[in-house]
Amino acid sequence: MSKRKSSHSHMTDTNNKNSKSSATDDGFGELLQPVYKGKTLTDPINTADDKWNLLPAFLKIKGLVKQHLDSFDYFVDTDLKKIIKANEKVLSDVDPEFYLKYLDIRVGYKSNGNPKNIEVLLPPHECRLRDLTYSAPIYVDVEYTRGRKIIIHRDLEIGRMPIMLRSNKCILSGRNENEMAYLNECPLDPGGYFIVNGTEKVILVQEQLSKNRIIVEADEKKGIVQASVTSSTHERKSKTYVVTKNGKIYLKHNSVSEEVPIVIVLKAASIVSDLEIIQLICGNDSVYQDLFAVNFEEAAQLGVYSQKDALEYIGRKVKTIRRMNAPKLTILQEGIEAIATTLIAHITVEDLDFREKAIYIAMMTRRVVMAMHNPKLVDDRDYVGNKRLELAGQLMSLLFEDLFKKFNNDFKANLDKILKKPSRASEFDALLHINIHSNNVTTGLNRAISTGNWSLKRFKMERAGVTHVLSRLSYISALGMMTRISSQFEKSRKVSGPRALQPSQFGMLCTSDTPEGEACGLVKNLALMTHITTDDEEVPIRKLCYMLGAEDISIADSATLHTNGTFGVYLNGTMIATTRFPIQFVAKFRHLRRTGKVSAFVSIYTNVHQSAVHIAADGGRICRPLIIVEEGESRVKAEHLLKLKQGAWGFDDFLINGLVEYLDVNEENDSLIALYEKDIIKATTHLEIETFTVLGAVAGLIPYPHHNQSPRNTYQCAMGKQAIGAIAYNQFRRIDTLLYLMCYPQQPMVKSKTIELIQYDKLPAGQNATVAVMSYSGYDIEDALVLNKASIDRGYGRCQMLRKNTCVLKRYPNHSKDIVTGMRVNEKGEPIFQHSALGPDGLGEVGMRIQSGQVYVNKCVPTNASEGVVGGQPGINQQQQYREAPMVYRAPEASYVDQVMMSVSDNDQALIKVLLRQTRRPELGDKFSSRHGQKGVCGIIVQQEDMPFNDQGICPDIIMNPHGFPSRMTVGKMLELVSGKAGVLDGSLQYGTCFGGSKLEDMSKILVDKGFNYSGKDMLYSGITGECLQAYIFFGPIYYQKLKHMVLDKMHARARGPRAVLTRQPTEGRSRDGGLRLGEMERDCVIAYGASQLLLERLMLSSDAFDVDVCNTCGLMGYNGWCPSCKSSENITKMTIPYAAKLLFQELISMNIAPRLKLSDVF
Amino acid sequence: MSREGFVPPTTANLGNAASGIQSLKNYGVKYVCAQCAVNFSLSPKEPVRCKECGHRVLYKARTKRMVQFEAR
Repeated sequence: MSKRKSSHSHMTDTNNKNSKSSATDDGFGELLQPVYKGKTLTDPINTADDKWNLLPAFLKIKGLVKQHLDSFDYFVDTDLKKIIKANEKVLSDVDPEFYLKYLDIRVGYKSNGNPKNIEVLLPPHECRLRDLTYSAPIYVDVEYTRGRKIIIHRDLEIGRMPIMLRSNKCILSGRNENEMAYLNECPLDPGGYFIVNGTEKVILVQEQLSKNRIIVEADEKKGIVQASVTSSTHERKSKTYVVTKNGKIYLKHNSVSEEVPIVIVLKAASIVSDLEIIQLICGNDSVYQDLFAVNFEEAAQLGVYSQKDALEYIGRKVKTIRRMNAPKLTILQEGIEAIATTLIAHITVEDLDFREKAIYIAMMTRRVVMAMHNPKLVDDRDYVGNKRLELAGQLMSLLFEDLFKKFNNDFKANLDKILKKPSRASEFDALLHINIHSNNVTTGLNRAISTGNWSLKRFKMERAGVTHVLSRLSYISALGMMTRISSQFEKSRKVSGPRALQPSQFGMLCTSDTPEGEACGLVKNLALMTHITTDDEEVPIRKLCYMLGAEDISIADSATLHTNGTFGVYLNGTMIATTRFPIQFVAKFRHLRRTGKVSAFVSIYTNVHQSAVHIAADGGRICRPLIIVEEGESRVKAEHLLKLKQGAWGFDDFLINGLVEYLDVNEENDSLIALYEKDIIKATTHLEIETFTVLGAVAGLIPYPHHNQSPRNTYQCAMGKQAIGAIAYNQFRRIDTLLYLMCYPQQPMVKSKTIELIQYDKLPAGQNATVAVMSYSGYDIEDALVLNKASIDRGYGRCQMLRKNTCVLKRYPNHSKDIVTGMRVNEKGEPIFQHSALGPDGLGEVGMRIQSGQVYVNKCVPTNASEGVVGGQPGINQQQQYREAPMVYRAPEASYVDQVMMSVSDNDQALIKVLLRQTRRPELGDKFSSRHGQKGVCGIIVQQEDMPFNDQGICPDIIMNPHGFPSRMTVGKMLELVSGKAGVLDGSLQYGTCFGGSKLEDMSKILVDKGFNYSGKDMLYSGITGECLQAYIFFGPIYYQKLKHMVLDKMHARARGPRAVLTRQPTEGRSRDGGLRLGEMERDCVIAYGASQLLLERLMLSSDAFDVDVCNTCGLMGYNGWCPSCKSSENITKMTIPYAAKLLFQELISMNIAPRLKLSDVF
Repeated sequence: MSREGFVPPTTANLGNAASGIQSLKNYGVKYVCAQCAVNFSLSPKEPVRCKECGHRVLYKARTKRMVQFEAR
């Protein structure tokens, strides 16, 4: 028995070790200690074994939610400035002299302030407690005219921006563990969420098809090939198609009423000669030329020869919605307008130079022609390289731009109204009017984040459910939420493609972590070592391309474009240059990137099918770091890893020195990546840093996942988020609506590298239970577990549930307000039962036990609250009347008052939060699970005396039925048991890392050395008879999680109870003390069995029996023995029908349908 | 109730006295500031604010009454 306790002591051991090292920040300090994982600095370093140390280094600078933080930082630091630049001037329609120009924008600091010193008003934890928004002011510098003068005003606040926690604008950024503790924050909390009105909100990563890229698709049944591109600019979003129809090619766009022949479009885009058209599209490939030639005919038939003809043709087809007072354009102008701005809107036309756009359209057409010739040359929509991830920053930027435009419009409208007035008393000062609207920006941002409704009129975007409340069920669930990716695909559609596992997902998205059911495969999770790019500047890259010898497309000869061996250079999907030496070009470019001259996140790869070199610098691409291999040798050597260990080098040094680089999915396709150092061959270009990074943070908890059947790992990913454990270091300071905490959590005996990296061992959710895999009693069928009562008494599976109850003391317009009154006493001067837990201030006393029916906030509401303000001055001697509106505790089990917090919310109303605590020990029906998707409920709790024991007297905490193994094939669980047992005996923690971990052979060796069977089986004695059991029992520690589903929250029974008002049937649901429904299928059973009286009783007598008077003459219902329609009481019969039936009849009557009852004798 | 807790009935709180609600002036309930952890009492008329540091989050101090737990 005492053996079980040994795992406790392990924990304290490791904790001691940690506490020594974690004096430095982040817990990574451990890595820098002289002795790390049993290795000293002088020990030889083996690159193959030690290169995984790059991973913690990566996570140290990147963090698990770095993608969110980077995206938000980019938005605040860069994107905001761009938005201001794009909307910089506010002009007046009335006064041409007036202007207001935005010069600069900053979030959180003033022009003379330090960008490092962010002025957020309140620390995040206080915002959580007080139901406030964690935000920082947005300052702008403006220049405007007042009378004749031009005035520059700095630091004008236009609103408040919700701040993402741990972003560079957050006060938590760069804090060490002590400072975090001072701010009541958990240093292990990943951040990346917002606090809006006291709730933590996450903007989930959204997955969508990449913008501004050509996607070629073919419908083989209809024989259609189409190339489409979704153009997305700041102003608009539109989609342009190049499609085939009857073998001819057309251009399709929403604002053009019908499809336009492609030749006409090209002619309109100033490619007038047919020769040049065919050169641009087909080059000198005769097959393509034959396929395309038909298209010239149609243009000729339509009489379109010149550019003017073509523009007029298009101008006639354009659907235009002009604004009210915009001047009417001629047909020719309409055509020019359409080509220049509407079609393929992301390519801007300057000075009517259509060439770039023409080449783009020609490229689309070429891709269509290629796909017509070879149907295999289409793009895969599900390919991860064709996807972009939209993060918080992008969504916030869309929202902010919308609000900022509205802000400016409101300001301008206000301005015009005032300027219109002929005479003013004082000189007009625009500043006085700009502040009025600043609330709109603040509330707009807050509302969008708190409701999750992103409605932007500009893009006709109406998205609901963008944000979610951060789930704080366990540390893992919060972490899992930050890496979650939701897809824009409809759930109801029955295509398997988007749900299937894509080979290109490898290393980017977790292969195991996806929910079951309708969102299966649509909701994904990031793998451990991924990064999501943000936008990079295009212009420098474009210049660099020319520098590297690529020829500018605008001066290139159309004839040479598609000659053999010429490769186009595409920057973000647009052709900018050509090169005849693609391999050299790419190599040079990569070299520049590896030396840090180009951003590390710019990807470059060649596509031989398209003869193209693609450079991608756009945001939202998923990428991951890999070790560079040159000439069959890894660039990362022992010396580098030594520097890393000594702390001289960080991950960025590896990047700058060209040892490691980021590859996105497309560039991965261009490389040969070796899994292990031994696999490197001559052609290898990269080496994987660690293999277990194919999994995400949540799947990383599973020990030996590579030995499990794959769905089991998926099940565990869903269940790990429901496990009760430690939530954060500040868990006892948090007042959340619902908080489950485990009383004595333990770190697992069998850990994985991922567990250490995400620091699950510091905030664990589970306990190492000694498990005997055997049958015991009959209460263990269907995965039920047998629990040891003594273990429970010692605290196994014990948890606390904390529930928040909020009470706001409102103020009313008539100056009355809610109050909290003291307790009421009986004649002996003792408080009455309902008030016995209250203090004299009318709030529950901290520490008191509260039973069902007792009051914990004795709130009183003024009776005249709704009376108007104007209804006379409230007299001073007039007694304010109050009505009691107490908060009453109702639950089967008593609670204790844990905390009572009093504060003030932002509109100056008193806010009272009462935290109630329940301590729960495991009971029959509570749900437990191991880390292998093997869940089960507690079937029986057995006295320790009756439990089996071994010759050392060790008794199991849990007995698990062996039938759980054969069909589930969770070999990982068995290995966990053996490794865990070896660890217990050895006094060490073992590893179950994916594709690695402690080897079974070594574990067996330890077991044998300690005098145990190598396979983990023990000889046990029966606790009941004392006899030796007839079989050896598989016996050892397995990490068990207690899941949040507990009987206490679910148990429900009712004999009689409340009924619904309308139907008089019993109410539904546990929360309303509802009845248990005998449904259709149960009804079928009763019918089939022939128990008609039972049916009658269940469906009518126990439900909504109702006595009616039926008139046999007219067949309608009467009352009191009287038929109102026949005006007689002659043929009235009393009978019982369900009230719902009576209701139906009456509703039918109300619709002018007369249901008439004809009664006759049955017997 | 302690002697300090007693307030002679006035016209304003006669209604309360009749219904058995104890009147509230100063009942010696202690509050703890969330920031500076100072202990002080507060009357219902006063704003919710620490008397030392002005912090606006207060916790109620633990009760002096005996609380008995069931050992389970």
